[in-house]
Amino acid sequence: MHSIEVAPKASSTEAQPNFHSPETRSHPLTVCLSGAPNAGKTALMNALTGGNFHTANYPGVTVTLSRGKSKAQFGPQISLVDLPGVHSTSAVSPEEELSCQVIEGRHLSVRPDALIIAVDATQLERHLRFASLVARQHKPTVIALTMMDLLPRTQQSVNVRKLEAALGIPVVPVDGRTGWGAADLINALRDVLASSSIRPSPLADLPEEPVSAYESIRKLLTTSEALKNTNRFQLARDSITARIDHVVLHRIYGFPIFFGVLVGLFSSIFWAARPFMDLIDWGFKQTAHLLLAILPDGVLARFLAEGVVGGVGAVAVFFPQIIILFFLMTLLEDSGYLARGAALVDRPLSYLGLHGRSFVPMLSGFACAIPAVLAARTIPSRRERLLTIWILPLMSCSARLPVYALLLGALLPGAAWRAGLALGAIYVTSLLIGALVAGLISRLILRKRTASLLAMEMPAYRMPLVKPTLRVTWSRASAYLRRAGAPIVVISSCLWLLSNFGLGSHQPPTPEVTRPPLIASSNLDHSFASDLGQVLEPALHPMGVDWRVGVGLISAFAAREVFVSTMAIVFHVAEDPEARQQNSLLENMRVATFSGSSQRIFTTSTILGLIVFFFFSLQCLSTVSVVHSETNSWRFAGLQLLFYTGIGYVLSVALVVFLRLLGMD
Amino acid sequence: MSLLDALHNEMYRVEGVAGPDDERRRLLDLGITPGEELAVVQSVPLGDPLVVMVRGMRLALRRREAGWISIQ
Repeated sequence: MHSIEVAPKASSTEAQPNFHSPETRSHPLTVCLSGAPNAGKTALMNALTGGNFHTANYPGVTVTLSRGKSKAQFGPQISLVDLPGVHSTSAVSPEEELSCQVIEGRHLSVRPDALIIAVDATQLERHLRFASLVARQHKPTVIALTMMDLLPRTQQSVNVRKLEAALGIPVVPVDGRTGWGAADLINALRDVLASSSIRPSPLADLPEEPVSAYESIRKLLTTSEALKNTNRFQLARDSITARIDHVVLHRIYGFPIFFGVLVGLFSSIFWAARPFMDLIDWGFKQTAHLLLAILPDGVLARFLAEGVVGGVGAVAVFFPQIIILFFLMTLLEDSGYLARGAALVDRPLSYLGLHGRSFVPMLSGFACAIPAVLAARTIPSRRERLLTIWILPLMSCSARLPVYALLLGALLPGAAWRAGLALGAIYVTSLLIGALVAGLISRLILRKRTASLLAMEMPAYRMPLVKPTLRVTWSRASAYLRRAGAPIVVISSCLWLLSNFGLGSHQPPTPEVTRPPLIASSNLDHSFASDLGQVLEPALHPMGVDWRVGVGLISAFAAREVFVSTMAIVFHVAEDPEARQQNSLLENMRVATFSGSSQRIFTTSTILGLIVFFFFSLQCLSTVSVVHSETNSWRFAGLQLLFYTGIGYVLSVALVVFLRLLGMD
Repeated sequence: MSLLDALHNEMYRVEGVAGPDDERRRLLDLGITPGEELAVVQSVPLGDPLVVMVRGMRLALRRREAGWISIQ
């Protein structure tokens, strides 16, 4: 089922230099980190690389791998690759399939010289069963024994020496979160690599069939006395986790706690990020001014200042929100609560054809669709993953916030609380519409139910540690920047060119000294964007707006909030101090009329129509680009763009016509 | 009887695992094998999924999945 999606393209020459270009062939070594999910691999990766790793895409593979270099203190450099967690060789998700390819030596570009298997000491049987799948490859292997600190909680004890003797594979206890044991692990790895032969391990001889494999593992652990289990089947084991679960999954308090966590998450995303967003905004504006001041006056200076710096700045202001989102998500994930949240909402989500794990991407979607699409990777079944990605553009992302603020300000002048209430309603509605779309699609279009299993581990609760959380946050955030950065620069540059060049004026006039440098309204009247707006005018009329708003709608494809700055340009707002700009824009919008008539443009009906348009329309080419790379399908991304933008247009026109029939104009 | 009929916090022994091939294999891979002991340790507000303790792991199973597991 996933073979097309994950099969690396044969003869991909560009894939080779990643791992086995001639100069890296002998040195550094490539070591892959493998393990069942929740074995503590990512923390271990952090400890081994000092957080210095990044995610990398491989040709023909839609899944990314983290790759990093071992810390200098561990001696000669080793190239480490973190493989996605695997339950079994009957791979379900593309991430698991990729891990299996690498472990079994079927992957064309990632060829490990040795493997580290992360094994959770509190769940030896299950994790050793995974280890047996790796041991079968007869590659140099070391077992990293994690979660040792949780052993007392579960009333078990593990004798590392006896375990090592029984398995025939070096076993090194580690704690990835503090870095304890990391140096020993590297040393054990070097010893294994240095020895000329690989010791035969009883793990390698275990059958692949799970029932007898589990039986043999238990026999191995009991006869060797490697595992002492004082209370093997007592349910009170790990009473801390059990007690917390009784509260957070409680029949009555469960959902209120869940919603409380979500409200806390969102409040911090919006309020804590505010000062940083203002700072970034200020920084980009200053850079733009500086560029205009030091570069010779001309197209190039204005292109760099307005198109590149300004365009990137418009998107970069959301970076603090995304960092805070990633930080809090990582915190929730590490504490163990995220899995409980997914379990809580699995019932309603699976009714809609989604998965419990869909809730994390949907949540992220309220900040930004791009990290949300990336977060959908953890959903095991392809059908549920694609359906989740399909509805993500509906989640009311924060780029819509300035647009709604402007439109609601124009619609409900004077009463901030009414605008606030309306905004809240928009957020809730976006979630409900997302549920509706998912439900309709899964019932009407994807009627055939494919294999889908929740079977999700609820990890033990642990207190998250600050430093590892920050490291993971940073690696996720920088992966996001790398992924979204290039499309944003390209798209905003193109849109600037479109709005500043036109057939009427091949030589864009240099800005007059008196005019504020960042607002170039006169060019816009003769630009390709205005030509496009005027070509589109017949389509815009049913929405009750003219070409100027059309230009705003087109420019919003760079990022939705660009609509606000474009409106400021087309409605000739002088650059005032920030606070007054919005007011003067609102004033200009209020009095704006269609050219050659006294008919107002912004009436109740057209503003509501615009809100509906922004609600549905997929006005974000960066999202389209990320959806394409995650689904590996231009058809999916294109269809999604047409679907939502089409629905937005049709519903917006329908609403305007309906309201006008009612006489609300 | 099926895991759905299990009393909470009572220990049972897995008798067999049914279900479509892929899903069945997945449950076996997770360690829910015939003869193994397990217990339902927690239910979730909407009654679905169930949290099952097996081989030292807490595992959330949908009612549909739990229905495939027969116990004694």
